[in-house]
Amino acid sequence: MTPNAVSISSGPSRRSFLASTAVATAAVAGGMPLLAACGGSDSESREGATSGKAADKLLPTYVASTVAQPDLPSKNGSAAGYTGKDDLAALATSVPDKLGTGAPFRIMSPFWGTPPKPGNAYYTALDAAAGTKITWQNQDGTTYGEKLGAVLASSSIPDMVVVPSWELGGKIPNAVTAKFMDLGPYLAGDKVKKYPNLAAIPSDAWRMSIFGGALRGLPMPAAPAGFIVPYYRKDIFDEKGWSVPKSPEEFLSWAKDVTSAKAKVYACADMSWSSAGVFGVRPAGTLGWNIGDDGKLTYRIEEPAFLEALEWVRKLFDAGVVHPDDKARSGDPSQRFTSGQILVFNSDMSAWYGKTAEQAQSKPDFEIDAMDYFGADGGDPTLWASQPATIWSLIRKGASNETIENALAAANFAAAPYGTKERMLVDYGVEGTHYTVKDGVPVKNDRGNSEVINAWPMLAAPAAYFAHPDLPDIARRQVEWQQRMGVFMKKTSTYGMNIVEPSRYANLRSQFEQLELDYVRGHKKLSDVQEAISTWKSSGGDKLRDWYKELLDKNGSGN
Amino acid sequence: MAAVSAAAAKDRVPRRTSRAGKAGKVPFRIRLRRDRALILMTLPVIVLLLLFNYVPLLGNVVAFQEYDPYVAGNGTTAIFHSPWVGVEQFSRMLDDPLFWSATKNTIVLFVLQLVFFFPVPIALALVINSVIRPRVRAVAQAIMYLPHFFSWVLVVTVFQQILGGAGIIAQTLEKHGWSGFDLMTDADLFKFLVIGQAVWKDAGWGIIVFLAALSAVSTDLYEAAAMDGAGRWRRMWHVTLPALRPVIALLLVLRVGDALSVGFEQFLLQRYAVGAGASEVLDTYVWNMGIQNGDFSYAAAVGLVKGVIGVCLVLGANKVAHLLGEQGVYQK
Repeated sequence: MTPNAVSISSGPSRRSFLASTAVATAAVAGGMPLLAACGGSDSESREGATSGKAADKLLPTYVASTVAQPDLPSKNGSAAGYTGKDDLAALATSVPDKLGTGAPFRIMSPFWGTPPKPGNAYYTALDAAAGTKITWQNQDGTTYGEKLGAVLASSSIPDMVVVPSWELGGKIPNAVTAKFMDLGPYLAGDKVKKYPNLAAIPSDAWRMSIFGGALRGLPMPAAPAGFIVPYYRKDIFDEKGWSVPKSPEEFLSWAKDVTSAKAKVYACADMSWSSAGVFGVRPAGTLGWNIGDDGKLTYRIEEPAFLEALEWVRKLFDAGVVHPDDKARSGDPSQRFTSGQILVFNSDMSAWYGKTAEQAQSKPDFEIDAMDYFGADGGDPTLWASQPATIWSLIRKGASNETIENALAAANFAAAPYGTKERMLVDYGVEGTHYTVKDGVPVKNDRGNSEVINAWPMLAAPAAYFAHPDLPDIARRQVEWQQRMGVFMKKTSTYGMNIVEPSRYANLRSQFEQLELDYVRGHKKLSDVQEAISTWKSSGGDKLRDWYKELLDKNGSGN
Repeated sequence: MAAVSAAAAKDRVPRRTSRAGKAGKVPFRIRLRRDRALILMTLPVIVLLLLFNYVPLLGNVVAFQEYDPYVAGNGTTAIFHSPWVGVEQFSRMLDDPLFWSATKNTIVLFVLQLVFFFPVPIALALVINSVIRPRVRAVAQAIMYLPHFFSWVLVVTVFQQILGGAGIIAQTLEKHGWSGFDLMTDADLFKFLVIGQAVWKDAGWGIIVFLAALSAVSTDLYEAAAMDGAGRWRRMWHVTLPALRPVIALLLVLRVGDALSVGFEQFLLQRYAVGAGASEVLDTYVWNMGIQNGDFSYAAAVGLVKGVIGVCLVLGANKVAHLLGEQGVYQK
């Protein structure tokens, strides 16, 4: 669920970290992480999914990148890692010729933080390098969905729009199909070779970019093993001599031991997302559907594990080991974590680097680590793979040929692999203006921190990777954790398919997000949840199952 | 002589009619000419109102559709391409337990607000009015107005830091061996909590209009009453409160008309702390259904019902005010 490998690697700044955690927060704001939510429409052609051979025809040819091979290659669904030092003087070039023609076009993109002024040195330098002339319409990332919904319903859609998967709720998936163009004529098959960095994006990510039977999105690939991470304060654990809990019971008793309301120290934040990993609950949305070993197609809430996972979290709340502000969902849990008010919290992969870099100056001893997932009985867990692409940029229907070419040129530039001049420019800006090099490691200055965030990295990205030149050890541990956890990874039958559910079922599951939050906090009874499950079945869930069954029969299973 | 009386009579006719409020007898053109300066002055506001308050009202037709904003070129033309479903959205609403729960919460909160919030600014205005030293008065007023300018996010955070499970009070109690204090996540006390927050934030602001009414009361009246031997309480009962009565009636009518709007941000922000069961009011329900779930037609139907009920309430309350001899929102 790493929303964005690029933002993770974008330098040791507090601002960029804030930006990247914000991506994470937004990504998980909807309850379960990475709910590839789907709506649908009345027109049948917009529903469903395209996969298998039908999809392969639409995909660009994969041409692996030859620059800078990672020293930790992807394994078990993990991201790749670059832990060695880059020779900044000898970076490769992945875009030898400017592909843009300089015709102006507009891009709307979510932005976490304060957007820099138009025409700043970062945007100018990138435009100059890519041959583009972009007007950025940066919108607040936390309320991006509302803005997106309105803009898509207007008659002036920007030429290029960045759409994160977590905003694909309600009728928005329809709009994506209706309002954005088929990029097949520009990218399918060997046509993509004009854009080598786009050609190096893995096919799985491209397959996720098929909306309504056509290749519409330029993807930001994600690692399937991008699970939610249960972080713990390793520095405090070591100091106190605690060992990391290895089962749900152990966790609970440890939590009770260490919680001291008097000292304002609580064991953890709301651990619902981690609990889903422990008990093997699938994410909400299309990934929630799976054909089990018994051949039955079920949705996540029908599994016994769903209630077990909720009950365990409720136990944590009841025991008073969860910080009261987390119970009230007030403030930022990650700040309580760094200040030591909570000792364990869950977030996405980006917090590992972000929090460490943030605290490096003020707390040199600060160290965090990721717990290894344990199963419900303390044995092996079942972790469900996340979708291989989670953010797309799309080009509006009716854009001129020149605009399309410029947009693709920009995406190709943004997707430059690690170890290239283009990547360096996208992630760090201009040397001397935005960053300086100390001991071979680039360090952003204030201007870099305020200008070099979001925007360009949102357009497209290379295959998921971790690279933190200033903290290479974090990148190594991130990859190793994903590889260790990836052993327990399973793919649902719907994995790797961009599925648009029919609109009549769009709101069927919407009540569960709130219900889960309410139940674990003690505001709802178990019987309320059970009742909601049976209502879900009778008011369309069973029909939706038939729909999925047909879809999977036609397209084949994703696992 | 006759000419004089005729002139007087001519003069009297329009005056009488205007007093009766039936301006209709004066030709439209003449009134237009007479009032053109006033009309010109109000024109921008009228245009603004038409454009942003009345024209959007037409959008309510989506309540009778299964509206999909993305079905055509833009959201407006999509109205002409979305299928009509009659009153289906309304019957859905009546069958939805969540709607009824939100309605119940809204009504309960309205009654509580009326009982516990509405009188507070009046009482505060009376207190402020009785303070004579201008300096003390100015400082007190400033302190009372200030919270109005805080956003709800800030107010809720401040309350969380004071009344929350890890807040100042809980911490202090904890140090003395009392544990488990947490007002912010108690679903049963939530309705009183939000009243408390509203009083803290907005009661001070609400006194302005009452103070204005009080400043219009002639001091002669107080002096005369005092001369007649009326004490402090009698003066308040017979002079101050009657002076406030029209304003109170006006605000009460407006408040009743607005009965189904009890707040929005305040509830949205504390939704997770106490659960949707306690915090969902009609406005948050409409927002969740429409903006969050993209179920625009259904949300529009609920909003429309709420609006229609609001109009009925305002007219009804106004009628009652008239019956009680008050002016209400408009004069008959």
